[in-house]
Amino acid sequence: MVHLLQILINGLASGAVYALFALGYTLVFSVLGVINFAHGAMFTIGGYLTYLLIGGAVGANGLLAGWQLPVSLPFWLALALAGVGSALVGLGVEAVAFRPLRQRNAEPLLYLISSLGAGVVLVNLVQLLMGAESYSIPASTLAALPPALALGGAQIRTVQVLLLLVAALLVALLTLWLEGSRGGKALQAVAEDPVTARLLGIDSGAMIRLAFALSGFLAGVAGGLVGLSVSIAGPYFGIGYGLKGLGVLVLGGLGSVPGAVLGGLIVGLAEALVPSELSGYKDGVAFAILFLVLLLRPQGLLGKPVASKV
Amino acid sequence: MQAGQLSRIAVALGAALALAAGLAACGPRAEDQPLQLKGGVPVGAVLSLTSNANAYGQDQQIGLKLAQTWFQQRRNANPQEALELNLRLEDGGGDEATASQAFNLLIDAGVVALIGPTLSQQAFAADPIAQRRSVPVVAPSNTATGIPQIGSFISRVSAPSTEIAPLSIAKALQLTPSIRRAAVFYAQDDAYSTSETVIFQKALTDKGLKPVTVQRTQLNDQDFQNQISSALRESPDLIVISAQAVDGGNLIRQLRELGYRGAIVVGNGMNTPNIYPICQGYCDGILIAQAYSPELDTPVNRDFVALYQEAKGGAIPPQLTAQAFTAYQVVAEALQRLNQRQPLAQLSLAEARKALLAELLGGQYDTPLGEISFSPDGEVLQQRFHVAQVRMQPDGRSGRFLLLP
Repeated sequence: MVHLLQILINGLASGAVYALFALGYTLVFSVLGVINFAHGAMFTIGGYLTYLLIGGAVGANGLLAGWQLPVSLPFWLALALAGVGSALVGLGVEAVAFRPLRQRNAEPLLYLISSLGAGVVLVNLVQLLMGAESYSIPASTLAALPPALALGGAQIRTVQVLLLLVAALLVALLTLWLEGSRGGKALQAVAEDPVTARLLGIDSGAMIRLAFALSGFLAGVAGGLVGLSVSIAGPYFGIGYGLKGLGVLVLGGLGSVPGAVLGGLIVGLAEALVPSELSGYKDGVAFAILFLVLLLRPQGLLGKPVASKV
Repeated sequence: MQAGQLSRIAVALGAALALAAGLAACGPRAEDQPLQLKGGVPVGAVLSLTSNANAYGQDQQIGLKLAQTWFQQRRNANPQEALELNLRLEDGGGDEATASQAFNLLIDAGVVALIGPTLSQQAFAADPIAQRRSVPVVAPSNTATGIPQIGSFISRVSAPSTEIAPLSIAKALQLTPSIRRAAVFYAQDDAYSTSETVIFQKALTDKGLKPVTVQRTQLNDQDFQNQISSALRESPDLIVISAQAVDGGNLIRQLRELGYRGAIVVGNGMNTPNIYPICQGYCDGILIAQAYSPELDTPVNRDFVALYQEAKGGAIPPQLTAQAFTAYQVVAEALQRLNQRQPLAQLSLAEARKALLAELLGGQYDTPLGEISFSPDGEVLQQRFHVAQVRMQPDGRSGRFLLLP
């Protein structure tokens, strides 16, 4: 029983990260119908910004070697500001890699390539400025809390509990905003039918920018939290999550916020169910589940079927 | 433009390319040209300066720089004593493709020998390229079984895991004789880790400690909660890890956070102070075998330690830096002897490479690692090994590898 509880906890902890990551993907997909491949770069930037804002110094290899900000903010404030910084980067990505193509009614494939290019440039820029080394947010950030908590005999690291709570809070706030505010409903209207939304007086361009900013914020916060949990393993550390997040997005249903959460948790639990001696193969198991679900429900678990035009 | 015209242009272009390729093939090979000595004897180095493996590459780069400084000082004192080398450093990244590309680039540029690559995993891909092109390779940090056996041109100054890994197990049992249950972790997608864990597991079994669980990880893993909770169910009192610096550092931190208080032995992949920022205060107490002692009281090691401390604000040099210094020293001294025997300017590149190999393997070297030489197949023959325990400062940001008696 304790073993099962441990598996559940392990799965939820990693699933929360995937869900947080896929939420950002899904927001952009819902309004534009394309995937933003620069999302992993924004996740990376969130981790680095959090590290810098808490007073971390740049290592020996980048152009900024030895440099550090003159401030040393508390972690949670730094995390929020890193989210804002990543949101600004998200707006930049929209302006550079998406808007010019949208104005020319370009093919969806071109968005993929341009966002992939923007992501690679951003990651390379991080590497140029801060080097390729790993950075860590000091474990003493949570010194007031015990390093792990016991839940019914199962153990979980405190940082992962915090990660779960923040992910749950952000999902709840996002859902409340989408369902209960004029801005959220306007975003949904643009996602549903941009032409009709425009006829109703909604500024679809502003809504798209808002989606990118929110998506960047979520990616940045996720990057900072993962950095706190397991260190920032170089500029490419968001790329691995990007691939998994893409799988989660498709599994949950493209453009579905509850689907992104459900997909993330399913992938996390599936990985946790792989016997630990074989955990090197957990990615294979996660993507095998994705494959099976897509065979049975091509639109994903909570996605809407798309009627084909004839 | 008509389709016929297009096809004629394509045929003409193809013919021109084929002709150019044919002419290039008929021309003199670069290997047959005299060795280019302008700016010094060309030597290449391929280190991991990017990717997760840059934690090692940084240590190694400093080692090469210090060796250059040391030889420059010797040359200033006596120009006849040390040949000038023209070191070309290329980033080998952390993967096989980047290292292979860097090897090809430097070999084509006409280097007489290569130092690198950083990872054993890369060596198994890149070294065969050097072997095919008959370029001597001196590996500063490849410890996996079978590296010198890749080919006759491949040698290493990094003692193999088979020599040093069992020492840390023996030390752990000496410090804590009550150890009864050992758990093993290793990165299954890494040649060095998979090679080293076999040696660790054999050493444990030889001591009557058959591992109670063997957990497999991957280099890119960051979250080890599954493997750790599974291992801790077996109540181990010794955990033995073969991983690299970033994944291994994260693993140690998470082990300690999840309540493991027993002994931890780690392999050579974590033999760098660059683990400090990863596992922070949780690095404290881990045991690791060493092929280098900063306390070795020889002239060359005193010079090396002084140069390192001057460059790094009084810090103690790590093993990887000492091994990189040694790799450069071995190549430089072999070239010096070869030049005295037969002036390099009279040799073609291919002749110089071949003659250097014989000189390299036949020499005795007084290095920061102590006196070393090579077996005929390129394996380093080294006498002194040690076991260190990591001791972290209370702030968890810095520490040292304290050699145990």
